[in-house]
Amino acid sequence: MVGTQPILLDGTTFSNPFGEKYSITHLKYYISNICLINNTNKSFEKESYHLIDQNLPTSLSFNFTSEENTFTALQFVIGVDSLRNVSGAQSGALDPLNDMFWTWNSGYIMAKMEGVSPQSNQVGSKIVYHIGGFSGANSVLKTIQLSFPAGKKLLVEQGKINEINLEADLNLWWQNANTIKITEHPVCTTPGVMAKKIAENYSSMFSIKEIVNN
Amino acid sequence: MKTKILILTIFILGGVTLVFDACKKSDVNSPSSEYRPTYLSFKIPTGWPAPPTDIFKNNPLTEEGFQLGRKLFYDGRLSKDGNFPCASCHQQFAAFATYDHQFSHGFNNSFTFRNAPPLFNLAWMKEMHWDGGINHIEVQPLAPITDIKEMAENIENVLKKLSVDTAYHRMFTTAFGDTMINSQRMLKALSQFMGSILSFNSKYDQVKRGEASFTLSQQNGYATFKAKCNSCHTEPLFTDNSFRNNGLPLDPVLKDIGRMRVTGRPSDSLLFKVPSLRNIQYTGPFMHDGRIFSLPQIVSHYQTGIDITQPTLDPLLKNRLTITNQEKVDLVEFLQTLTDDVFLQDTRFSQPK
Repeated sequence: MVGTQPILLDGTTFSNPFGEKYSITHLKYYISNICLINNTNKSFEKESYHLIDQNLPTSLSFNFTSEENTFTALQFVIGVDSLRNVSGAQSGALDPLNDMFWTWNSGYIMAKMEGVSPQSNQVGSKIVYHIGGFSGANSVLKTIQLSFPAGKKLLVEQGKINEINLEADLNLWWQNANTIKITEHPVCTTPGVMAKKIAENYSSMFSIKEIVNN
Repeated sequence: MKTKILILTIFILGGVTLVFDACKKSDVNSPSSEYRPTYLSFKIPTGWPAPPTDIFKNNPLTEEGFQLGRKLFYDGRLSKDGNFPCASCHQQFAAFATYDHQFSHGFNNSFTFRNAPPLFNLAWMKEMHWDGGINHIEVQPLAPITDIKEMAENIENVLKKLSVDTAYHRMFTTAFGDTMINSQRMLKALSQFMGSILSFNSKYDQVKRGEASFTLSQQNGYATFKAKCNSCHTEPLFTDNSFRNNGLPLDPVLKDIGRMRVTGRPSDSLLFKVPSLRNIQYTGPFMHDGRIFSLPQIVSHYQTGIDITQPTLDPLLKNRLTITNQEKVDLVEFLQTLTDDVFLQDTRFSQPK
């Protein structure tokens, strides 16, 4: 979502909280280390790395096999944990051919937004945000915990498929803890202060939309 | 407009996770009964320290993997126009640097940004590149393959080109157990080849092993080396693999700020990786931008050329180095004992027939 508008990558123009117009061509991010939580337990997914690509509808949903239990919250990391950033060649969601790996300064791009904005002073009015950095002061890794709505629980049982539906409000990318104006910052492609600010912003853009116990 | 769409749905399947995932585990090796590679052991030369990490821990070294990596290393198809295999900039007779080139040639008549480093003893190198931007040998090849001034290709295209070659089908199968050709396997094979390239048979090594002796001049040069150079170019690797500013003035065209390029830290401005001095007779021109063309000129830099006003200058160089002209002559004699002809001519590392 962008505010109340659905995220569309078809040239649809959005307005950020500062009235700056933009459209999105690419929106990709990693969700990793997913687990379901209750008061006493955490059920982790093995090899939990998912690349969400807004241009690729099949990436907008995925399966997670959990142990049987009743859960009250979902936890995940936006990005790829530091260990996998330093462990050499990976495959699957972490394959470098997904265009989410920096080849000259090893490490994953945790979240990527590219598009066009008349407010951008770049060639072709482009806006380019490649948010990464996994170590020390430059880390943009964010662990998110989302409690299910009051009274809602996820009942995981063998042979059943439950659903958790999330939504994200992209307006928070620009304005949350930090103010990111396109006129001032049309580009961010290296780890550092600006990347951290944007990551801090987007870290709270997810919310639980619906829990479905089938 | 209040249309709500879901951005992400996670389907939760109930069940016993471990069983399900054990089948799915997509490691490099999918063992089948016919998969019997020849495992190789990585031998650390006598008296050398153990490498800081085991680069073959998640990439078991095999003859088949090594040979696949060797073929890839010499294969122009890894580049956009077919003209730039890894070996075009990393020539064996130049200790796998580019012989006599300040910068190497890349796609579309371009020059590289920095001097191509030689390739040997990489298992001891924790970070690659002059600025240390690459944190693992397996992801190193991604940089030159995709750099528009080098091989200018993308990984997807490389894999497409490889997958229409039956020789690669056969070699990926013998190396990894089945015909799947993916970036991970390609990178792991390249890493097996590059990581196996060792240089430990120079005259210096023979002297250390008691198999040869230095001339008087070489002996004197070695004494000077130990007194003036060894703290950074530490034996037996002839580098401590650290990053330091050795006082070269900033090039006004390249504006190469070194390690700060990848860390963003001002304290890393103008710091570059300390290169190994092994095979230095063939790895010139020298320094990160190849600005120095001869061994005596290198010594001259440390005698008189260091810019001592740079705030990040290595403290060991703040008074430059006091080296007499006789010591300089002897030092150059000694440096040439680091040439390893066995490695330079080892057909195991040469272009496969």
